[in-house]
Amino acid sequence: MKKAWIVFRKEWFELVKNKLILYTILIPPLMLSILPLVMLYFTRNEPVDQNDLAMYQQFLALLPGLTPAEVVQYMLLNQFLMMYLMMPLIIPVTIAAFSIIGEKEQRSLEPLLATPIRVTELLIGKTLAAVIPALLVTWLSFLIFWAGASFMTTPTMMRMLISPMWLLAIFVMSPLFCILAVGIGVVISSRVNDTRVAQQIGGIIVLPVIALAMLQTMGKVLYTTQTFAIACLVLAVVDLFVIYFGSRLFQRETILTRWK
Amino acid sequence: MIQTRELTRKFNGLTAVDRLTVDIQEGEVFGFLGPNGAGKTTTVRMLACLIRPTSGTATVNGIQVGKDNRAIRSIVGFLTESPGLYEKLSAEANLLYFARLYDVENPEEQVRKYLEMLGLWERRAETVGGFSKGMKQKVAIARALVHEPKVLFLDEPTSALDPEAAKTVRNFIEELKAHKRTIILCTHNLDEAERLCDRIGVIRQKLIAVDTPDGLRRSLFGRQTVVQLENVTPALLETASSLDFVAHVQQENNKIIISLADPDKQNPIIVERLVSAGGKVQYVNEVRHSLEDVYLTLVREEGR
Repeated sequence: MKKAWIVFRKEWFELVKNKLILYTILIPPLMLSILPLVMLYFTRNEPVDQNDLAMYQQFLALLPGLTPAEVVQYMLLNQFLMMYLMMPLIIPVTIAAFSIIGEKEQRSLEPLLATPIRVTELLIGKTLAAVIPALLVTWLSFLIFWAGASFMTTPTMMRMLISPMWLLAIFVMSPLFCILAVGIGVVISSRVNDTRVAQQIGGIIVLPVIALAMLQTMGKVLYTTQTFAIACLVLAVVDLFVIYFGSRLFQRETILTRWK
Repeated sequence: MIQTRELTRKFNGLTAVDRLTVDIQEGEVFGFLGPNGAGKTTTVRMLACLIRPTSGTATVNGIQVGKDNRAIRSIVGFLTESPGLYEKLSAEANLLYFARLYDVENPEEQVRKYLEMLGLWERRAETVGGFSKGMKQKVAIARALVHEPKVLFLDEPTSALDPEAAKTVRNFIEELKAHKRTIILCTHNLDEAERLCDRIGVIRQKLIAVDTPDGLRRSLFGRQTVVQLENVTPALLETASSLDFVAHVQQENNKIIISLADPDKQNPIIVERLVSAGGKVQYVNEVRHSLEDVYLTLVREEGR
């Protein structure tokens, strides 16, 4: 695994030097940390909108101990939790596409594959280089949000924000999403030669998450710890499939003879 | 050092390399010469364990391709057709990355050695994206050598370079040749092949011919001596053709071109007879066909 570490270090170094990618990775998460805080700040003393409350009436029983105002606030903040789940999808796809297509553009894959590195070490190095920054950014932005929220909301609300569901989403589901995104990034990179095209195609993978978020916003469903636990299990299975498929594509001969 | 036996590679039914059998000795500079799509790159990719042969076998330093590919990769250096460098990294960072991937014991020292050797030490911290093509190719050569490989594969090392940069690269390969490293050079640059290679294998899917550049000339055109005289008379032509070791004689203006089996021994006799017959000899030279003649003849014959 020493060589995977060497690959990771080099990828990290290149990432830090690429301002465009760096800003793409850092700015959206920063916005997602600040936006819910701004929303909390301006709505904390506002009277409850009766239309909102009516929409979420059916979930009151699932949120015991919360005042009607807190229920509305919680439902809104839950939307941002779904946003946090988009970061581990978007960031690794961006990094993986930049990393692999960058190698294709620079034609550096062949000399790299001529070294004694195992392709699994290369893939692990590149995966870590995409997953670690994505997780760091996701967790850091959540930490900023959580720290800010602690000043602007009630202790009951804070308990909800560090409930098993939120922790499961941030610390289990996010890494699983990252792995999924890298796998998809590898598959896209094997067929596409332009980083921007890969990013655009990669962006499609967030659509199911947006759709799920919309369902909750419209008051159709309320995601619970159980929902998230099931989702984590499904994701783990999907990840295994994606890792298998990605590693099949990421073979010396396939890369040199079949990748476009 | 390298042996291939009936080495074959097919892509979707198309044969890229067809039953290639060749032995390359340690310390030899061996050139694969052939047109685009002849299978040169596919051959070195198979020998560098980047792609698998469809059939046949190959060994590199006694290790069979396909048996212990990592061991082979650790003793070969591969210069690809394009430099393939990380443009946003410095020359030094590019080389250090590869030195570490090759498990070089003291990567910093080894990188310094090659950057100094290629005159790039002063510019080591600059990103290679700003380098000229020649400088990039130098960094790529250093990368292929940083782990001191026993075998070096050079795939079209000067194809994209201007004449000055190409000359620098060729001079460096000549230096490597002096260090007795086994080098396999893929090229369609005939001058380069002639200047650098001990032996040449002309390839067009199949190996058409293998020999030294002079050996290839001899086997195709035989050996010929041209004798320039002040004046060529029928009597002088008759004198030359009457010698029993002379295979063929032809006249071109004031020159007689004579086909011989062993010019080193037979030229003095010819000159002596022509002078005795009254001929005034001005010059005696060996007719030297260019490698281009050899190559084109071989490739055309194979294409028929």
